[in-house]
Amino acid sequence: MLQSTFKKEWLDTKRQGQALWLSGIAVLLLLLACVTGFKSHQSYQQAVNEVSQSEQLRWLNQGEKGPHSAAHYGIYVVKPTTPLAALDDGLQAYQGNVLRLEAHIRNDSLFRSAQDNVPLSRFGSLSPAFVLQVLLPLLIILIGYPLLAREREQGTLKQLLAAGASPAKLFFAKCAVLFTLPCLFLLPVALFLLYSQTASEAPYTLRSALFLLSYLIYLLLWALITTTLSSLFPTARRALITLLTIWAFATLLLPKLAMNLATTLHPQGSGQAFQAKLESEVYTDARLDAIEKFKQQTLAQYGVSQVADLPFDYAGAQLQFGEQYADKIFDRLFKARLEQLEAQSQSYQLAGLLTPFIAVQTLSMATAATDFSHQQSFENAAEQHRRLMQEVLNFNQRDHGHKAQGHYTAGKELWQQIPEFSYQYPRFTHYLPHYAISLISLAFWLIVLVLLSLFAIKKLRLEEQR
Amino acid sequence: MKRLILATELKNLWREKLVLTLFLTTSVLALVAFFNAHYFANKQRDVVLAAQQMQQQTIQNAKAGLPERLASTENHKWWEDPYDLRGQAFYLMQNYATKTPLATAPIATGQADVLPYYFKMLIKEKQHIVHQYDYVHPLSLLLGQFDLSFVVIYLLPLLIISICFNALASERQGGQLRLLMLQGGSATHLLTYQLLLRSALIVMPFLLISSLLLVIIRDQMGVTELLSYNLIVLCYSGFWIALTAWVNSRAKSAANNAATLVTCWLALVIVVPALVNTSIALLDPTPSRIHYIDSLRAASDDAQKASEKTLAQYFQDHPELAKNGSGASDYATKKIATINSVEHAMEVQDARFLNAQQAQQQSAQKLQYLSPALIVQTLLVDLAGNGLTRHHAFMSEVEAHHQALQRFFANEIAKANQRGDFAPCDGCSAKPTLTNLADIPQFSSELATPVYSYTPLIWLLLLAVSLLLIAKRRVNKLDSANNKEVLVV
Repeated sequence: MLQSTFKKEWLDTKRQGQALWLSGIAVLLLLLACVTGFKSHQSYQQAVNEVSQSEQLRWLNQGEKGPHSAAHYGIYVVKPTTPLAALDDGLQAYQGNVLRLEAHIRNDSLFRSAQDNVPLSRFGSLSPAFVLQVLLPLLIILIGYPLLAREREQGTLKQLLAAGASPAKLFFAKCAVLFTLPCLFLLPVALFLLYSQTASEAPYTLRSALFLLSYLIYLLLWALITTTLSSLFPTARRALITLLTIWAFATLLLPKLAMNLATTLHPQGSGQAFQAKLESEVYTDARLDAIEKFKQQTLAQYGVSQVADLPFDYAGAQLQFGEQYADKIFDRLFKARLEQLEAQSQSYQLAGLLTPFIAVQTLSMATAATDFSHQQSFENAAEQHRRLMQEVLNFNQRDHGHKAQGHYTAGKELWQQIPEFSYQYPRFTHYLPHYAISLISLAFWLIVLVLLSLFAIKKLRLEEQR
Repeated sequence: MKRLILATELKNLWREKLVLTLFLTTSVLALVAFFNAHYFANKQRDVVLAAQQMQQQTIQNAKAGLPERLASTENHKWWEDPYDLRGQAFYLMQNYATKTPLATAPIATGQADVLPYYFKMLIKEKQHIVHQYDYVHPLSLLLGQFDLSFVVIYLLPLLIISICFNALASERQGGQLRLLMLQGGSATHLLTYQLLLRSALIVMPFLLISSLLLVIIRDQMGVTELLSYNLIVLCYSGFWIALTAWVNSRAKSAANNAATLVTCWLALVIVVPALVNTSIALLDPTPSRIHYIDSLRAASDDAQKASEKTLAQYFQDHPELAKNGSGASDYATKKIATINSVEHAMEVQDARFLNAQQAQQQSAQKLQYLSPALIVQTLLVDLAGNGLTRHHAFMSEVEAHHQALQRFFANEIAKANQRGDFAPCDGCSAKPTLTNLADIPQFSSELATPVYSYTPLIWLLLLAVSLLLIAKRRVNKLDSANNKEVLVV
């Protein structure tokens, strides 16, 4: 049944020509997107390696200076990517990929490349993810809308059913044809994933498998919905219009509305207000009081009356106390901001129950490590590294500052004590809870569409009996 | 006959409940899009107002606290002292450069959510100032705002297609066209009235509601801007109506028309813009910001290492600041000299980014003719004041303000240093060197109303007229009484 249906559909497709050239264009676009995505990923990763290396050298060769000067000198760290970012660059352009780690301040990431782009860029660029998420469903619709509806219009459906063709087999055979064609488009993607597995130092097997699986399910969903509506509607025209409306809603309108709603439901203050709050909460009289209290406690602990009599350099101890004092405020304020942003993410994911586009987009960016959660992991790791840097430098000042005649300076030996910041993304299983809603949404859509398909098959059976 | 055609068409639409459905759909779209973008623009306006208020409040607070400070004999740390020029310059200054959204902002958010619209000014390298941005969810930036331009560019054409794709075709397929022509009607009239009436049901409520909201809700909405908005939307809708007329005139089935029109929409609104965007980025690639950091870091290191040389060069460039100088230059002057040196060293790098963006913009202006969606997006974004032209003008003002601040502090610090105000005696606190914060230059924007060229709109009209002419010629064939072949489905 499958073979004969495939042959028949292939002949139909060839005769019409439209589907063939549409598929040709889609293949070309996908290949172009893969090439540009791969080139862009390569040049980005090369820049990350070069700059990280030169920054580390700069840190080590900064010369003799006071540890606190070195803390202010700081270091820039750059977010690495995974090979999957070549297929889905996700939010890369809309979040800073560089962080400055320095004393006293927890900085936000720098340089969103979207700021350097022209307004036209908001139309979206041609990435493999764009082709897979937006264009392939449309291709499925354009090829699949007449599959059963036209048979019905031409009267061949009745003939087929009367000749003993099983409605279920007919339905699934048509659906299989519709699913197989776009799956061929996934071949270059699968090949790239295989290549990146062998070429990459750290293989991303689970990520790659989930990436591919989520797109397979996504394409299957579109194949199912197209076959179902083609089967349910009396004319191909109505099936086409309904499918196109669903596509426009699912891929264009709902994601935008969902995110706009998420940001309205979980509003976030401006950057200006956040900075003002940081400054007003860190640099307060309470901080001066806390520092004074710390000083008195330290003096009492060592049984001396002035800091000069302490067996260490008090300046280093106070600097570290100041850092820890500020870190608590950073933790509270950054956490509150992050909670709002996470709530926005979760609300958006929830809208995946309205459109599978959101679910697959979320999973695609997640597996490619180009989404917000992965950005947060990187920023958190960088912040931990900043705190480690401050601790090493301040304790060095504390332990050795008092021994120096005049201004204490340290050198390469100290700078080397701070390990190089080399960030590796945690295993994907670590992130899975973040994407539970999207995984459930995909499963939900699969169940709903299988049920709808069964309903369509039941209707076909009734048609057979009439 | 014309009246009969119109009445029948209206009756058909009414019977299919399309009149009400379309009116409601377009009205809801206009309302949601307007209020969403209006809310976004207002949020930006509130931030601008809060920044300006904070700046004024700081000046007032400093004024009120001055007598206490003058009377104080405490040892003040200069970096925490609001009356110290150095503290203000490098750490404490509440001085903002802001860009207020225009009344037309809800029309198209454009890059307004990505580009910075306020800067907290300090005396530090320009490169550290101009790259500040609001930390928002990056996904909302990727997806963009649901604004009027989104409805106009993406949804209006789809709605026009969805209601007009079977104009004439269904009459041809149903045999009514033959009857109509036997009664003296013409296919040209039928197609014209069908397209005009159906698209009017979509475009008119949308334009009416969005224009009304712009006038009523947005303050200071200009008549020229409102007319421009209406003109752009009408021209764009006109193009899609013309395209629909052309496709319908080919005398193919309604399903074929729908597939062709949707393919055209997909090509012109989704694929071509994405391809143009990718080509622009490939032709004039933006330099790497990661490498930019490397250069900035290297420039800072060089300036620091050669701080004495940097200072000497600085005094050579600004001899007025070295007047009576004993050579014992203070930390602040050294710092300003270093900042100057870093900025100077980074000029080439900054120019590379600006040149790349300008080259991309030029390519975009040329390639926009490939898609009506690109033309309309460019026009609407400029009209909304969220385009690159206005932003570049704002950035020039920000840079000028930054330089004004640097000049002010460099001069005042040099004078204070020469007077010995920073170290009036051995071990004692610096004198207040900035008693009135209102003396600090304040940002004043004189951004002109955005200028936009209507030339691309003429191209759009030309395209529409050409399509209509071809369609008319084809439909005229149907009108020929002898040509019975075309009447056969």
